[in-house]
Amino acid sequence: MQGTKAIAVHEITRKFGTATAVDRISFEVDRGEFFGFLGPNGAGKTTLIRMLTTLLVPTGGKAVVAGFDVAEDPSEVRKHIGVVPQAMTSDLDLTGRENMDIYGRFYGIRARQRKERVERLLEMVGLAQRADDLVATYSGGMRRRLEIARVLVHRPELLFLDEPTIGLDPQSRRVVWDLLRKLTEGGSITIFLTTHYMEEAETLCGRVAIIDAGRIIAMGSPAELKAGIPGNDIITLRVGGLTGEIVQSIKKLPFVHNVGMEDESIRVSADNGAENLPGLIDAVRASGGTILSASVHEQSLEDVFIHYTGKSIREEEARKINFLVGAGIPRGFGR
Amino acid sequence: MTRLLAVIERDLKKFKRNPVVLAMSILMPMIYLVILGNSFQGKLTGLPLAVVNQDGGPQADRVMEYLRAVQAGPRTFSVAVLSDQRAAVDGVRSGRYKAALIIPPDFSRRVAVSGRPDIGLFLDNTDSISSDTIRNLVDAALSSIKSEYVPIREPADEPLLRDINLYGKVDYYQSLVPGVVIMAIFLGTLTTGAFNLVMDRFLGIEESYLLTPLSKGHIVGGLIISGLSITTMNAALILTMSMLITGIPLSRGIDNFFPVLFVVVFTTLCLLSLMFAILGRISHPRIVGVLSGFLNVILFFPSGAVYPVASFPGWLKSFARVNPEAYAVDALKSLLFKNAGMAAVSGDVAFLALFTAAMMALSILTFKRTL
Repeated sequence: MQGTKAIAVHEITRKFGTATAVDRISFEVDRGEFFGFLGPNGAGKTTLIRMLTTLLVPTGGKAVVAGFDVAEDPSEVRKHIGVVPQAMTSDLDLTGRENMDIYGRFYGIRARQRKERVERLLEMVGLAQRADDLVATYSGGMRRRLEIARVLVHRPELLFLDEPTIGLDPQSRRVVWDLLRKLTEGGSITIFLTTHYMEEAETLCGRVAIIDAGRIIAMGSPAELKAGIPGNDIITLRVGGLTGEIVQSIKKLPFVHNVGMEDESIRVSADNGAENLPGLIDAVRASGGTILSASVHEQSLEDVFIHYTGKSIREEEARKINFLVGAGIPRGFGR
Repeated sequence: MTRLLAVIERDLKKFKRNPVVLAMSILMPMIYLVILGNSFQGKLTGLPLAVVNQDGGPQADRVMEYLRAVQAGPRTFSVAVLSDQRAAVDGVRSGRYKAALIIPPDFSRRVAVSGRPDIGLFLDNTDSISSDTIRNLVDAALSSIKSEYVPIREPADEPLLRDINLYGKVDYYQSLVPGVVIMAIFLGTLTTGAFNLVMDRFLGIEESYLLTPLSKGHIVGGLIISGLSITTMNAALILTMSMLITGIPLSRGIDNFFPVLFVVVFTTLCLLSLMFAILGRISHPRIVGVLSGFLNVILFFPSGAVYPVASFPGWLKSFARVNPEAYAVDALKSLLFKNAGMAAVSGDVAFLALFTAAMMALSILTFKRTL
């Protein structure tokens, strides 16, 4: 039916008790696309990816992944996808090669083919030298690279990555990014990635959905998203003696679209920031303010997020655990 | 099939990477044999007994002689002769002695004259097992002074009890061997199988294989089979070693090799599937820790491994009737001590198999394939 799409999601919803983690989300991803879900921690990204990868049953809506319904045909979905969960999931007591080999056997890949692919993939992620060391001796970046290689053993048509670079140092992050770019070069694999790093979504993804509090608030290519909000530059001014009057006078300027205020600084979205900066400074001075510092940068996805939600990407609220029961007791019955 | 084998191999490989665990799981049941054998002794020895002999007459000497004979022979108690009655009683209060025997000054005279001698025995009756033993022996010592001569013929009218052992002599240590093997199996099933699932869940690794096409049966079955192979080998090793230590002829095990193997395998399967049914949804190893001590006590002590099931109160007997360890102990005792064949234990094995099937079904039913 929706065979031409890699992912087709219609009003998918997941509730935990009274809290709604994912709230009637709909979107489609074409084959070969590099699609990203960008949002703050706690926005519902992991819940969404777990529903799409059959680990959580949706409480409402429908999702078709690789041509199969996730609720009706989860085992078929699993055969066609590869998933790198957010937590490190490689076995510490096994070597890198053993981790990959056993994973390949979970998919029923024949011995000779498995050996070939494992060799090639270890080479590709730069772990061939360390393949026979226990994963316990690996760094975080190495473990993540191994986990990406591991889910490619069965040649999935669709790859899901949940916050693949979380907790990695900037250098390891770049290595992972290069790896993911290399994967999409052939155009035969679809990648679905979630992240709360703006830069990651901006440099990797062809198309991005911005998610907050369980809902999609904007979707499009990074360029489209940025073009979709007024202005093209952000001017940040630190002003001595900041008053409401100053803000009012700035708002009247023709090239200014939006003004945000925070302590001593004002954040102005404007057209052609560099060109219009002198005019802005004049306006502040005329209203009796003194300029302490000024900076201009191009609008980023972060600014898109701020435009739509009125807030910056924030830290996650802790998962609520019943203090009487604790973390280890099973919650409710399911499949 | 390849998938099931992959689950098994993954688990075995991980187990192999922890040689300390392997060594401990063999060593610990052996230590159990020694500790258990010496703490639940068949007969008590070395109980400290204080004796104050204020009499010194011939009858008191005979009591003393008898006590010394016990000390030299079965060594039930070690006698300390004191002169101060108060010191002896205080010694019992402070726990230095299990009992104090006071022979009063007129003891010998009263035995000779009135025949109603008094003797004082202060017992630490907080420890009922040792105080009962001491009381019985002191009773015996006192009755020994009544018989002035040793009869040449036994009186014809008194029935004489003769023990007739149906089976070859089984000493106390040997009788513990089935219990030790069951204990080894229990420990093995606790640290393999479902426990590895709990650990994977705790470490967040479980997610990686829930995402693969493995079925519930692959995951549950694979972990049970790998746990079975580890635990069975372990139990066989411990059975052989404890037979060697306690002097049960190895030929018993060899003659009954298949029945013994059968019992070990089914006991292991039974406990593994029981653990799976209990731990299948648990995600913190601390809960396993709390449960393990509890399960060990409620399964092991009512199993008949140490005390006979027949002497349990009714409600505990009914529990023993559904306790798989009780069937395992019964089967192993029959095979090792009565040299009975497969036919004698088929009932036990049938129960174990049935229990396994029920628990396995429950495990697969309750195991969650989603997070």
